[in-house]
Amino acid sequence: MIGDILNILSNTLFSMVPLTLAAVGEIITEKAGVVNIGLEGIFMLSAFTSTVVTFYTGNPYLGLLLGLLVGALAGVLHGVISVYLKGDQIIAGVGFNSFAYGISLLSLVALWHGHGSSPRVNKIVTLSFGDFSFSPLAVVAILVGILAWWWLEKTPSGLKLRACGEDPKAAEAMGVNVYRTRFYATVIGGALTGLGGAYLVVGWIGQFTKFISAGRGFIALANVAFSNWNPLMAIVGGLIFGFFDALSIYIPIKIQGMTGRVITAESNLFRTIPYVATLVIVAIIMKKVKTPRALGKPYIKE
Amino acid sequence: MSRHEVIIEVSISLLIAFATGALVLAILGFNPGEVYSVLFKYGYSNLNYLLSKSAPYIMAGLAFSIPAIAGVFNIGGESQLYVGAFLGLLTAYYTGNPILALIVGALAGGALALFIALLRVYRGINEVITAIMVNWIFYYLLAYLIAGKFYNPQYSHESVPVPPSARVPSLAIFVIAVAVALAYYYLLYFTDLGYKLRVSGISPASARYAGFEPAKSVLTSMLLAGIAAGLGGALLVLGITYSIDDTLTAIYGIGFMGIGIGLLGRNHPIGIIFSSIFMSGLVIGGQWVELKTGAPPELADTLIGVIVIALAVPYAYSMLVRKIRREAK
Amino acid sequence: MHAVEMRDIVKVYPDGVVALKGVNLTVEQGEIHGLLGENGAGKSTLMRILYGEIKPTRGTIKIFGEEVNFTGPWDAIKKGIAMVYQHFTLVPTFTVLENLYLAMLSLNPKVTIDEVEKMAKEKMKELNFEVPLDEVVEELPVGVQQRVEILKALLSNAKILILDEPTSVLTPIETEDLFRTLRKLKESGITVIFITHKLREVKEITDRVTVLRRGEVVGVAETSKVSERDLARMMVQRDVVMEITKKPPTPGEVLLKVEDLWVKDDRGLDAEKGVSLEVRAGEIVGIAGVQGNGQRELAEALAGIRVAEKGKITLLGEDITNLPADERYKLGLAYVPDSRKVGLVYDMNIVENVVLTNLDRVTSTRRILWRKASELAGRIVKEFEVLVPSLNTPVKHLSGGNQQKIMVGREIIREPKVFIVSEPTQGLDVGATEFIRKTILKLRDEGKAILLISTDLDEILQLSDKIAVIYEGRIMAFDKSEEFTLEKLGLLMGGVNVKA
Repeated sequence: MIGDILNILSNTLFSMVPLTLAAVGEIITEKAGVVNIGLEGIFMLSAFTSTVVTFYTGNPYLGLLLGLLVGALAGVLHGVISVYLKGDQIIAGVGFNSFAYGISLLSLVALWHGHGSSPRVNKIVTLSFGDFSFSPLAVVAILVGILAWWWLEKTPSGLKLRACGEDPKAAEAMGVNVYRTRFYATVIGGALTGLGGAYLVVGWIGQFTKFISAGRGFIALANVAFSNWNPLMAIVGGLIFGFFDALSIYIPIKIQGMTGRVITAESNLFRTIPYVATLVIVAIIMKKVKTPRALGKPYIKE
Repeated sequence: MSRHEVIIEVSISLLIAFATGALVLAILGFNPGEVYSVLFKYGYSNLNYLLSKSAPYIMAGLAFSIPAIAGVFNIGGESQLYVGAFLGLLTAYYTGNPILALIVGALAGGALALFIALLRVYRGINEVITAIMVNWIFYYLLAYLIAGKFYNPQYSHESVPVPPSARVPSLAIFVIAVAVALAYYYLLYFTDLGYKLRVSGISPASARYAGFEPAKSVLTSMLLAGIAAGLGGALLVLGITYSIDDTLTAIYGIGFMGIGIGLLGRNHPIGIIFSSIFMSGLVIGGQWVELKTGAPPELADTLIGVIVIALAVPYAYSMLVRKIRREAK
Repeated sequence: MHAVEMRDIVKVYPDGVVALKGVNLTVEQGEIHGLLGENGAGKSTLMRILYGEIKPTRGTIKIFGEEVNFTGPWDAIKKGIAMVYQHFTLVPTFTVLENLYLAMLSLNPKVTIDEVEKMAKEKMKELNFEVPLDEVVEELPVGVQQRVEILKALLSNAKILILDEPTSVLTPIETEDLFRTLRKLKESGITVIFITHKLREVKEITDRVTVLRRGEVVGVAETSKVSERDLARMMVQRDVVMEITKKPPTPGEVLLKVEDLWVKDDRGLDAEKGVSLEVRAGEIVGIAGVQGNGQRELAEALAGIRVAEKGKITLLGEDITNLPADERYKLGLAYVPDSRKVGLVYDMNIVENVVLTNLDRVTSTRRILWRKASELAGRIVKEFEVLVPSLNTPVKHLSGGNQQKIMVGREIIREPKVFIVSEPTQGLDVGATEFIRKTILKLRDEGKAILLISTDLDEILQLSDKIAVIYEGRIMAFDKSEEFTLEKLGLLMGGVNVKA
């Protein structure tokens, strides 16, 4: 019994990392007024990059770093398109998801000729206490969430960033460089998401597969809405969504072990939970939702 | 936007896409020339297959474009297509009647789209968030239903099949799709309903001035979109795949591709017919590319992704055009 | 040494419009200086130049004796000039303190929010006015928001404060509060420039006043030495440019009746406060007034685009108070809005634009008969002498004047019984202006009821049989046009209640 609980707890902590990191990153981006729904694509690209780097250098920490950088680069691309070229942010995000998915798989085949997964690579350290284990990045994710909250709410630069997302005209009138702030916010968001994507491989699964992300980028977006744009709540959300993710993997295995029945079909129902939860919350609480007022609207300086 | 500018935009985005694709292929060790020649040769050679495969794409494109014209972002085409495919499949399986199946599929898609629209109109909830959630909810819901309840005893990873009496010949689905596209074209440009939609999308203030109710435009355009997507799903299942596998690979992604198809077709039903055929050729070609050169079919995703990104920045084009004109003086 | 000295300021816009024709302005330290004028006089333009937002085409500016050349508002702020706009530059979802903090950060990146709070509390005590620091801006009444803007300006150590029509958003009580504050500021040595079109305010709060008209200074005076009458005369005096012969009116029955209409504006404030009017067949009623006194909201409420909170609107004997716009159009009402962006769909072509308010005429069982629409468009183009390459040209490629003609022509061709038109000749050249005005007169002779809303006094005077002066959402006077002298109009438009 205890073993089961510890097992689920561990899986929750493993699962929450990318969901929290990406959500916090996207909260920063959206608080500045830019929406990036290309998180799924960033996960794929950074996961793949970290796999390649770790494979050839043997150093998973380098892989982690490069995954973060790739995420930042994706943020640069989205930032240029959204802020400076005033492009449609949603469309750009959708396009990026396709593009990143395609490139990751093309590269997978080009490098390793297999279809579906890369060879296993070294992983970063995992902390274990008997049946209970978690990745140090879980701690990092929580710290990042706390730090982001403190930065956004309690510092002058955070105030300026939030002004860009609420009323860019007023912000500009008060001396804030809206373009630059929005751009940096998008890059930071991309970087954090990239870190989460790299973690998927070198911190958890251990290899790159076609399904490495499996919609996690979208759960992260759900987490952003669920958290009402509050990084602290994103940590909670990451844990909750991670819990259901873990449950949906764990329960079928457990039931199979106990009764011999395979319930892969029913496990799909578990996977709907994060999305249903978000929909319900968003539909019911929408009145108090603190969506940044200027979110998604390109700012055009007079 | 003049025809002139449209052609330039489309051409430039295609150019950028194929150039980027070539670059990526070259870096990864494939021969772009070889890959592209296979892509185009085999992608477009089998006319029957090409046209029939483009039918669901046409529907997906309409599902994105009609609301886009009215100023609404429908990225829920995925789930609208899923329910159309699934309920169309079940209707066909239980009644053997293809026409009924198509109607049920269309209505199912319409209902789902209407749900998203109602949330936006009456609760003010952003339709992008709702659509993303609904897409995934239905993905997993259907995966559960197919794997758990409606599976084929002989091939357990597939759903129950469409009985032969309910199958639709492949050319027929193309004809139906084109007919619907033409019907939507007529609706948009020759009826008062379509006119009101278009004005609401371009200039909401003018629409209000003329007495057009914005809420009505949102609801109507989404309903039309859902009907198209649902019908597209039903056409796909009744005419091409005849069943749905338990990971939904047969129907996954078509709704999203509709966004690119709609954009490439400049949100115009006739343009969508052509962009669907083009995209479907890329996808088919992609499969052949895999066979002949080893490059995976996901090349198509890369190309489409770049096309979509390139089309997300119309301002950049007008900037570019203005710069060229200035330098020409 | 003067606080502000602007010499020979000329401003010509890229499209050729001359906004300022060589203006001199001198403001003394510690005085409250009024800048008076009608719409288009150039008051805002002049101040935006002083504030560094736009550059003058020619002319010099000296601040406290030092010649300056501002490249942007930040230069002006550093020199101690602060501007309080009509539309505030506050982040609505932040608290007052957060907004003040944000503003202070740009002047001193190292300042902390606690320091700003302290500074703000001290300033408020010094000047004896209160602003709730911890409330969210958008939940505050507009008068308080304005005080936040003023406090913001003061905290940045402004020595010269420019207020652009500040009372347009205030209630009478809030206006009194504002004046009290301004007097206190004056005592502490701050110079105030007060832009307004309201004569009473000029008399009440200013020490001296400069009157602008059509980009030129027509008078500078010490407020105590001029009367409202003098100011009114300076503000509106003009040579009548065009003579249009008007037949004597033969008014018929009342076609449009407005009773005690109350309408709210976009901010939720009352834009119309109990407006009552009547327009008869064969009569032109002109609504005179400076922009921003409720004209647009009135027109939109009559057209059905804006909700009437209270009151009754009767069209041709039918109560249309709750009818949507397209129903009113079908009953014989036509409305030409003051903004072409609203009245036209820029990305659509001429034919499609003609359809906008004519759907019922060109549709048959839901089908649009484009041929019929083209014919209609063709007629409009011909009758209104619109020069276009083809009917399929997108409207955005037409000149402003041609756009205006299509917008007006489209409504006229429907032969409405009641015609509400707002700023009908804006952006038109002399020839086109005359054409449109003659057309409006023709409609009137044909027995239509016309409500003309215009900030162009010439137009009102030339065309109207009856004039109603609107001020702060109320009709100050409603009478035959012969009963109004220019001076009286000026007074009424400036808010002074004048009996005949």
